[in-house]
Amino acid sequence: MPQGDYIDLHRKRYGYRLDHFERKRKKEAREVHKRSQIAQKALGIKGKMFAKKRYAEKAQMKKTLAMHEESSTRRKVDDDVSKGAVPAYLLDRENTTRAKVLSNTIKQKRKEKAGKWEVPLPKVRPVAEDEMFKVLRTGKRKTKQWKRMITKATFVGPAFTRKPPKYERFIRPSGLRFTKAHVTHPELKCTFNLDIIGVKKNPNGQMYTSLGVMTRGTIIEVNVSELGLVTPAGKVVWGKYAQVTNNPENDGCINAVLLV
Amino acid sequence: MVQYNFKNITVVPNGKDFIDIILSRTQRQTPTVVHKGYAISRLRQFYMRKVKYTQTNYYDKLSTIIDEFPRLDDIHPFYGDLLHVLYNKDHYKLALGQINTARNLISKIAKDYVRLLKYGDSLYRCKCLKVAALGRMCTVIKRVAPSLAYLEQIRQHMARLPSIDPNTRTVLICGYPNVGKSSFINKITRADVDVQPYAFTTKSLFVGHTDYKYLRYQVIDTPGILDRPFEDRNIIEMCSITALAHLRAAVLFFLDISGSCGYTIAQQAALFHSIKSLFMNKPLTIVCNKTDLQPLEGLSEEDMKLVMEMKAEAMKTVIGQGGEPTDDQGVLLTMSTLTEDGVIAVKNAACERLLDQRVEIKMKSKKINDCLNRFHVAIPKPRDQKERPPCIPQAVLEAKAKQAAEKEKRKTEKDLENENGGAGVYSASLKKNYILANDEWKEDVLPEILDGHNVYDFIDPDILQRLEELEQEEGLRQAEEVDDDFEMDGKELTPEEQQALAEIRKKKSLLIQQHRIKKSTAESRPIVPRKFDKDKQFTTRRMGRQLSALGLDPSKAIDRARSRSRGRKRERSPANDGGDAMDMDVDTPNKRLRMRSRSRSRSVSRPPGELVPGEGFRDSAQKVKAQKLAKKSSKKRNKDARRGEADRVIPTLKPKHLFSGKRSSGKTDRR
Repeated sequence: MPQGDYIDLHRKRYGYRLDHFERKRKKEAREVHKRSQIAQKALGIKGKMFAKKRYAEKAQMKKTLAMHEESSTRRKVDDDVSKGAVPAYLLDRENTTRAKVLSNTIKQKRKEKAGKWEVPLPKVRPVAEDEMFKVLRTGKRKTKQWKRMITKATFVGPAFTRKPPKYERFIRPSGLRFTKAHVTHPELKCTFNLDIIGVKKNPNGQMYTSLGVMTRGTIIEVNVSELGLVTPAGKVVWGKYAQVTNNPENDGCINAVLLV
Repeated sequence: MVQYNFKNITVVPNGKDFIDIILSRTQRQTPTVVHKGYAISRLRQFYMRKVKYTQTNYYDKLSTIIDEFPRLDDIHPFYGDLLHVLYNKDHYKLALGQINTARNLISKIAKDYVRLLKYGDSLYRCKCLKVAALGRMCTVIKRVAPSLAYLEQIRQHMARLPSIDPNTRTVLICGYPNVGKSSFINKITRADVDVQPYAFTTKSLFVGHTDYKYLRYQVIDTPGILDRPFEDRNIIEMCSITALAHLRAAVLFFLDISGSCGYTIAQQAALFHSIKSLFMNKPLTIVCNKTDLQPLEGLSEEDMKLVMEMKAEAMKTVIGQGGEPTDDQGVLLTMSTLTEDGVIAVKNAACERLLDQRVEIKMKSKKINDCLNRFHVAIPKPRDQKERPPCIPQAVLEAKAKQAAEKEKRKTEKDLENENGGAGVYSASLKKNYILANDEWKEDVLPEILDGHNVYDFIDPDILQRLEELEQEEGLRQAEEVDDDFEMDGKELTPEEQQALAEIRKKKSLLIQQHRIKKSTAESRPIVPRKFDKDKQFTTRRMGRQLSALGLDPSKAIDRARSRSRGRKRERSPANDGGDAMDMDVDTPNKRLRMRSRSRSRSVSRPPGELVPGEGFRDSAQKVKAQKLAKKSSKKRNKDARRGEADRVIPTLKPKHLFSGKRSSGKTDRR
């Protein structure tokens, strides 16, 4: 035993106190009552945190108990039905799947023509103009009010240069410019930090699209070369669309879902 | 900087606790109340403060962790290697590196979000940004939690490492497992190392301290080393190898010549030769242990040859130090830890050689020259050939000789014990030296209760003497009581004397009674001084009566007393009286007469400016002035209705009329 382990050395030489085990047992038994007292008496933020922790513990306990009980009960076993299986009295019918497929492609083509895509967030709360822009007073007497500052997250692109300050109407502050987005792959369920290539469409209007404003529901194009996707033809895919799923101005980051 | 004490590293909290600590501290130490209606800059500042505060706290705590854990490159190579052997340098560095990265990430997050908060235009938005910032910082810590747990374990282990000073005098003990290294260290130091019959009892380095020639030496006990290729060695062996490699110490290589450790001398010699490269520049001593089982001379030829080979190797180190080739005193020693035969000799030899080596090195170094020219040992020059040995008085020599003889002669209890079978067999008779009247009573058992009394209450070695003293005291007291009863009978006195005695006694008792009455009334009532004596007891007539009762003539005494109590003629203005006498009309003579007669019938007081000798005034003008000043000072107080100088009572501290009311114009800042 190492020289510094005084406690263990003492225990080895002299053993435990005469009432050590009894005291230990009793102390552990009292823990239950103490915990319930704390749970009842803790107030404020402490109480809330304790309650949350305790709730999680209890839920976990219930689950494990249920699992243990599961093994001891008997249950009727259902055979899984395979996908194409058909009950005996329908065996003679012909399948009509082909037609459906055909009509589906027609529907898709129609949608594409109309310009509607299937996206995770089809409907988004509209953003009012006074929420989007902040009016800046300029001029010697601060009476001119034609400048607007954008209060939402924007993307400007690498080749962006400002217009001369005297003439720029929409100000995109550099603090609110983002270049990267956290993109989640819906099937793989993992998130990557990818560069934004551009803003494709903002549901609030094409003025916002042209300004590069990113709000919730905006379709952006991201650089997916990191993912190593390849087309059936053998070409490397390096840009894909993703839809923004959070409010970037409230969270300080852009979270998006890849549109596969 | 050399740091060999790792006990001061602060505790590293685990991930969850860390987050809880920091967040609860932010919640407690920053303002908590904010409303929607506040100015936007105030809202922003409120949330920015929280973000910055959290970041600062994380930064501080992570910085302490990074700073307190030792850098393996900055500490003594012995400790660097030891920590590498125990914890793996790479893991350790990685963990610390991760903590460093986490710290930088948190700083960046805070900076970004503080910048974003400047654009927050509503309470909700600022609040969301703050929540996002704190959440991200805590996620960084959550990711780094395994490193924190690992560092905490390392810290706990490091704190328990024995504190070995790599630079001081050290004696290192090495050899095969089970040869008796730990028993040796137990014998010469106070370190209590476990000694067990199985191999690899010692699993880590142990330190003990011992003294030699007024200097303190560290003795390090190492775990046993087996003869294996270097790469195959396990952690425990690597500890010993590290110690051997880095510490400049005297090495004691232990050899078990009886073979009871389970390894032959050949195997041990093989080990010796495989690690002899580590013994470079170190004073090496071969110690043959367990000589009680097998003396050195009884060894076989081959074994003897191996031992001699080892000795030859050890001699090389002596030569290397600059010693003589023939000086083989401290190179090969025998001892037995069981019988303690030769243990001290081994220790002394090792310490001596180490000391010599260190002194040599110090002499050769450059630093010694600073000290050396400051030393000068002065020896008085001999002026003639006469021998002058130290002078010890004869009495001291004799006493010393006697003491030595006594020591040899006297048989101690311990010797008796050893003779009669040892510690468990013989029990010393504690009653052997009792001093009793009859020697046969020595071994008797003393009863505790006899006739219903505790025997111990009655035991006292001086009891007879005490009894005598008591009786003497009794006799004395009785005699005193007899004396006290003695009184004057009154038979020897004459009748006149008797009468006088009776009167004196009566008077005395009367006086006593009166005094007693006076005393009792004096407690309840103030004592009235004589001049206000209302009962008029003390008149001259009474005095006259009492004196004549005694048979004395009271008239002169009365006259004297009366003359004192009568007032003098009162002269208001002594000069005017004479002058006005001429101008006065018919009434004046009567006036004068009246004045004179009044001066006798009434008690006279002094005129107000009259000088009384004891008061300390120069003349009556000064007295009058003093009186005037006194009156002037008390006038003001009287107007304020104060009872005296010390009366500082304020009946109302805050009278309402002074502390309330509006002003018609102006401010009410001051009242």
